[in-house]
Amino acid sequence: MKKIKVSLESVRDEIKSFYDYKQWHLLTLNGLALAENKMEVQWIFSKYEAMDEIVVYYTEIENTETIPSIVDMIPSAIISQREIVDMFGVKVDGSEKGLYLDEDSMQRPLSGCSI
Amino acid sequence: MKKTINIPLGSQHISLLEPVRFKFECENEKIISVDSDVGFVHRGIERACTTKFKFDAIGYVVARVCGLCAITHSLSYTAAIEKLLGGEITKKAKYLRILLLELDRVHSHMLCLSHTCENAGFEAMFMRIMGDRELVMEIQELLTGNRVQFDYINIGGVNRDISSEVAQKIVNNLYEVKQRVLGYMDEFTNNWSLSLKFKTIGALSLDDAYRLNAIGPLARASGLNIDVRNEIGYLPFSEVGFVMQTHSEGDINARNIVRLNEILNSILMCENILSGLPEGEIFTKLKGKPNGEAVVRFEAPRGELMYYVKGNGSAMLDRVRIKTPTFASIPAFSHIFVGENYADAPAILASFDPCLSCTAK
Amino acid sequence: MFDLKKYRKKSPWILHYNAGSCNGCDIEILASLSPKYDLERFGVINTGNPKQSDIFLVTGPVTYRSRERLVELYTQMPEPKVVIAVGSCTCTGGVFRDMYNVEDGIDRYIPVDVYIAGCAASPELIIDGIVKALEILEQKSKEMEKPHKLFREATSEGGIVNRRHSALKVGEIDEEN
Repeated sequence: MKKIKVSLESVRDEIKSFYDYKQWHLLTLNGLALAENKMEVQWIFSKYEAMDEIVVYYTEIENTETIPSIVDMIPSAIISQREIVDMFGVKVDGSEKGLYLDEDSMQRPLSGCSI
Repeated sequence: MKKTINIPLGSQHISLLEPVRFKFECENEKIISVDSDVGFVHRGIERACTTKFKFDAIGYVVARVCGLCAITHSLSYTAAIEKLLGGEITKKAKYLRILLLELDRVHSHMLCLSHTCENAGFEAMFMRIMGDRELVMEIQELLTGNRVQFDYINIGGVNRDISSEVAQKIVNNLYEVKQRVLGYMDEFTNNWSLSLKFKTIGALSLDDAYRLNAIGPLARASGLNIDVRNEIGYLPFSEVGFVMQTHSEGDINARNIVRLNEILNSILMCENILSGLPEGEIFTKLKGKPNGEAVVRFEAPRGELMYYVKGNGSAMLDRVRIKTPTFASIPAFSHIFVGENYADAPAILASFDPCLSCTAK
Repeated sequence: MFDLKKYRKKSPWILHYNAGSCNGCDIEILASLSPKYDLERFGVINTGNPKQSDIFLVTGPVTYRSRERLVELYTQMPEPKVVIAVGSCTCTGGVFRDMYNVEDGIDRYIPVDVYIAGCAASPELIIDGIVKALEILEQKSKEMEKPHKLFREATSEGGIVNRRHSALKVGEIDEEN
C-alpha cells in the first residue's frame, strides 16, 4: 500500500494525471474521523492484474470544507461520494444527501463528534 | 405532452429477494433512465464495529453484513487483523479457508443462476438448480455446523477440523454437483427459449466495463481480466488450481456461462484441496492488539470485496471500512438498464446477482 | 358455492418482505420452497401481492427506512392474516440490536403470531413455523365467523363493546350463563 499526501486543491489534478482507466480502478473513497471537526479523506485505487498494488491518495480537511468531485473522470465514484456525504456530514461537489439516511434519522454517524 | 411513463420496481416485488427501489422512466417499452434507492437495508454496522464490539468479535459481526458471502466478509476482516498483528497461520488452516470460500461460491452462483431462470420465466429450471444446491448446503453444514452463517473463521485459523468421513462426503457430493452443472451447461447454451431471454440482452461492452469500474462476474463476462484471487498472496489460490474464467459477449448469457465455468473451477479447487490437505494444527494463537492500517481485498461471489481496518493499539478499532462488490457496481447496473425493454428488467437485475444488504451495510 | 375457508386452509399464500436482514433467512425461505424441503406440499405459494396473501413472512430487524413499508404491507393484507418473524434479528434485533438505524425487531410495529429463532433460521424450523401459523390462521378464520354483536359490558360504565374485540371474554360469560 502506497500512501501519497495531497492538498485539497490539487487532488483533482493529481488524480487526473495519475488515473488511466485501462490500468487502474477506483476501489472506494474512505473517510476517517481524526479529531473534533477534522477528518481524513482517502481515494483508494488498485491496479488490474498486479499483485496487490494499491495506491492511496489522502488529504486532511476541516468538516466545513467542500471536497471536489471526481465523477467526470471516474463515473463510479458517485456512489462513494454520496456515502461519504451521509456518513461524515461533509460537502462534496454535486453529491446530495440521502443515500442511506433520512432527514429524521441519526446524522453524521461516523464523524466522531456526534457521539 | 409528456411522452414517458415512470414504472417503479420495488421496494417489495416478487422478483426481488431484498428491498431496493428502481424507478424506470420508459418510452413505450424502452427504458430511458433509471433512478435507484439502495438504502433500505442500512443498519449501521460500520459504526457498531468501532463503538460496540471489540476487535476479536467483529469477525462474527461483519459476517452478518451479508448471509450469502458471509465467509468472504469474515475472512477479509480476519486477514486484515492478522496482517496488523503480524502472525502467520498454518497451511492447513489456509487450505480449509479456501475450501469453504469455494463451497460458498458454488452455492451462491447456483442461487444466482436459479434466480435468473425464475425471473426469465423458467420455473422448472429454478426448482432443478435449487434442488441440486442442497447437495452443497449439506456439505457446508457437515463442515461448519451451520447452513448459512458459518462462523467458521477465527483470528489465527479456523474453528473446526475436518474428519476423513466428512472429506469423503464432500468429494462424493461435489462429484454429483459437477455432473448436474455439466447438464445445466448444455441447457444454458442450447435451450432455444432461454436464448431468447438471455442472448444479447443486457450487454456491457469491454470499454464500458473499464470506464465504469465493473467488477466480478459482470466484468469478466465482458472480457475484463479482474479476479482478486489472481492478485493476492494471503491464500495460495494458484497452488490449488485457480483459473480465471472470462467471456467476451457481456450479455446475460455470458454472465451465466462465466458463473457455470467458475462453479466447475471451484469444484476442481475443492477436490485438489481435499486430495492434498496438509497435516498440522488448524489454529495458531496470535497475541497483541491491532495497530496501524491495512487494506485487504478478496474475491466474493459477486466481485471484489475490500476491507480497510485501522487500529490504535487498543481493543476497540478506529475505523472499519467495508467496500462491497454490489456497491461499486451500481453505476454499471444503471448504465446497462438504459436502452433495454422493461419486460427484461427483472432478468437483467437477477443476472447482476445484486446483494443489497452488502451495499447498504 | 366456494368454500373460502376450506381453500384458505388448503392453500395459504405467502408474502415475504425483507426488512433489513442479511439475506441468510431469505435464502433459507427460498430453500424451504425448493424440492428438498418442499413447503409447497402444504399448498403454500410465494406471491408478491399483499392483497392475495394470508401469511406474512418478515425477515430482518426493521431498518429505519423500511418500517413504513412494513406497516403498509401489513395493512394491505386482508383478514385473517398471520405474521411470522423469521430469524433472531427479526424477533429481538439480534446482533443488530442498538445499532443506530435499527428498530430492534418487528413487534414494535406489527403484532406477531409466530417467532422463529435461529441465525439463520433453518428450513426445518421455517416449515414448523408455517405449520403452526396454519393452525393460528384456522383459529382466526373461525373467530371471524362469529357475528358482530354489540352488548353491554358489566365492568364498563354503560359502554357498548364490539363483540369480536373481546371474543374470548364473551365466550367465558356465555358458558357461565
